[in-house]
Amino acid sequence: MLMHEVLVVGGGLAGLMAALNVSGHADTAVLSKIYPTRSHSGAAQGGFNVAMGEDDSVEAHIFDTVKGSDYLGDQDAIEVLCSDGPEVIRELDRMGVPWTRRDDGGIAQRALGGAGFPRACFAADFSGHVVLHTLYEQILKQGVKVYPEWHLLELLLEDGRVAGALVYDLPRARLEVIRTKQIILATGGYGRAFAKTTNAHANTGDGMAIAYRAGAVLSDMEFVQFHPTTLYGTNILISEAARGEGGYLRNTKGERFMANYAPEKMELAPRDVVSRAIFKEIKEGRGFEGHYVHLDLTHLGERLITERLPQVRELAIRYSGVDPARAPMHIEPAQHYSMGGVRTDIWGMTPLPGLLAAGEVANVSVHGANRLGGNSLLETVVYGRRAGRKVAELAPKEAWPSLSEETVRRHLEPWQARLAAEPGKLSQDDSTFAIRREMTSLMTNQVGVFRTGIELKDAVERLEGLRERYHRLPIPTGTQPFNYALMDYLEVGYLLDLSEIIARGASARCESRGAHYRMDFPQRDDRNWLHHTLAHRGERKPEFSAGQVAITRFEPQERGY
Amino acid sequence: MEVALKICRFDPKKDRAPVLQEFVVSVAGNQTVLDALLLAWQQDPTLSFRRSCRSAICGSCAVNINGQPALACQTLISKATENGAAVIIEPLPHFRQLKDLVVDLEPFFESLRATIPWLVLRDDYDGKLSPEIARQLEDPATCILCGICKAALGEHEEIKPACLVKAMRLSQDPRDVLGLHRLRLLQVPPEVLQLFIRKLPERCPKAIKITEAA
Repeated sequence: MLMHEVLVVGGGLAGLMAALNVSGHADTAVLSKIYPTRSHSGAAQGGFNVAMGEDDSVEAHIFDTVKGSDYLGDQDAIEVLCSDGPEVIRELDRMGVPWTRRDDGGIAQRALGGAGFPRACFAADFSGHVVLHTLYEQILKQGVKVYPEWHLLELLLEDGRVAGALVYDLPRARLEVIRTKQIILATGGYGRAFAKTTNAHANTGDGMAIAYRAGAVLSDMEFVQFHPTTLYGTNILISEAARGEGGYLRNTKGERFMANYAPEKMELAPRDVVSRAIFKEIKEGRGFEGHYVHLDLTHLGERLITERLPQVRELAIRYSGVDPARAPMHIEPAQHYSMGGVRTDIWGMTPLPGLLAAGEVANVSVHGANRLGGNSLLETVVYGRRAGRKVAELAPKEAWPSLSEETVRRHLEPWQARLAAEPGKLSQDDSTFAIRREMTSLMTNQVGVFRTGIELKDAVERLEGLRERYHRLPIPTGTQPFNYALMDYLEVGYLLDLSEIIARGASARCESRGAHYRMDFPQRDDRNWLHHTLAHRGERKPEFSAGQVAITRFEPQERGY
Repeated sequence: MEVALKICRFDPKKDRAPVLQEFVVSVAGNQTVLDALLLAWQQDPTLSFRRSCRSAICGSCAVNINGQPALACQTLISKATENGAAVIIEPLPHFRQLKDLVVDLEPFFESLRATIPWLVLRDDYDGKLSPEIARQLEDPATCILCGICKAALGEHEEIKPACLVKAMRLSQDPRDVLGLHRLRLLQVPPEVLQLFIRKLPERCPKAIKITEAA
């Protein structure tokens, strides 16, 4: 058995920021299913929103975020996010992040969607990547222990308190128990539940599903962000920075169609608005080949594109054969981000003692029904830091929670038996691959940008059927190292749990708010639905209840752009 | 189109030596070697290879493709099959093979420690940097630690390429106390350094160009 006072699960921005803030105060380890520098935070391109400009203010950032959230974000949490931001950006600067600069040497800022000011600090279009690698440097400096390619399997609870974790060492094909005082989940999102997603293969919602199974609460899971601009076909992300730097969206008639949907903000309306607009254009016959629209950067000039959007250019050339300096890119919306997650307070603490969460896995909630571009990177570092600081305060003072042999045995033995068994004969008729294909296309087609009650109800039923099939599959066990088939089996299980909660939540919420758009209930309904959706594990299926939204400064009003 | 792949298989618990296993997969011309590997995996789920972002930013899927180290997600299948023969996919050379296409990355990540792999901040840093200097820092900061440089230049064991890139990136940062001392501390023979600087851009999947400021 291993012991660490604090275990951070996930090595992306939120996890590394958390670990960094605990290290030096308590014995800390990072457990990550891939090497930390491989984390999907590194794919974030646009930037980190903070109010640092002369005309800008923290107040304005708070308001834009509240409005962007369609008034479902918790305003106390948003206030923390926006207020802590500038300090964290300066802290990252002193760690060595190579921010892009203004002529006077200060940190440059660019416009992203839904913001009243150019507010996103960035490094060309590698913003997540450079911060991820800088934080990794700091982890090396602090000597934080990293367990790369280890997977969290289960949380171990004793008397309702999290006291450790059952984990799987993929390279050595071994089970291990880690005793802990505090666990911080920073495992990111579940984008792989959808066929069309910008997310990495690793983004399978492990932390959300494992926390939910252990009794944590998931909130607002029906709010799924679809990014407006991904390369048609491959769904590789084309940063919002492309529009922030001045790119235009056009339909087959050559019109900048956003004029009809968001006349003021145009291409820089929030993502939910832009994604719906694109699909509407396509639906009404103004999409190219019936499937995509154009994102046109040609008027920006090669120099600006090379300096500010080098990765966008490289990705478009390589994966679609289009040089955005010369021709418009072909783009379609795709799943990108989870607004929902493990419910936490403004310190990242969950109702389960000994368990915290930060970053995309968590729901604080700063994004409410729709996240603004540039606010998720900010959330990872602000709330990663807060979770780390909270645990740095708690862990050194508290005694090791008890963890009985009986509890360990109850969790460990079934896994030992499973892994020791001869690998089950793979069925010819069914497989995780088939179930995953059906689940992901179901989620994209029926739980996507435009939703209806009938399709959602059908989706729930079909997900239940997929789950039954899943439980009949043989488990791909064995003692060989790097058993990715076993990981795939577990990941499909997590995604099925989460997909069902998303679809049920969407089916129950009879209104349209932010990214959740019901064609049969196209209006926002504050009287009945201005509350969080809380999902708890039930006997056979999730149980739902309502949670209060923290409204401190801004009363809900109509949201127009 | 139908594409033949020859993929290196090796399970240290069972096999004495690696063998090439043949797969035939059906892919579109604009798909990548990673897409082809994922299809092969569906035919034989015991196949092991790393992957994550599929957009050349995470560095997971570095393998040897037709004898050249490359990111599978960055290599179009049409390019890899240009000669009409089966695509041969093997683990990165100069790394220890752990299983199939998976290699031991621990020594590679450990090699970063030969320089002090973090910024040692100057006391008098006032929060400002010129935009030109910031732009110069960007290029080496795009390193994704994929290991291809080591696989491609591995015949020069005295080079720790990822460490050199890190050292060069930090040495050019005006915020860093150590600056150019970093390179002197590494004690890389000048001719080896020259060779590295010359060869890196053509081998690195991010085409990192480092200038010799030393």
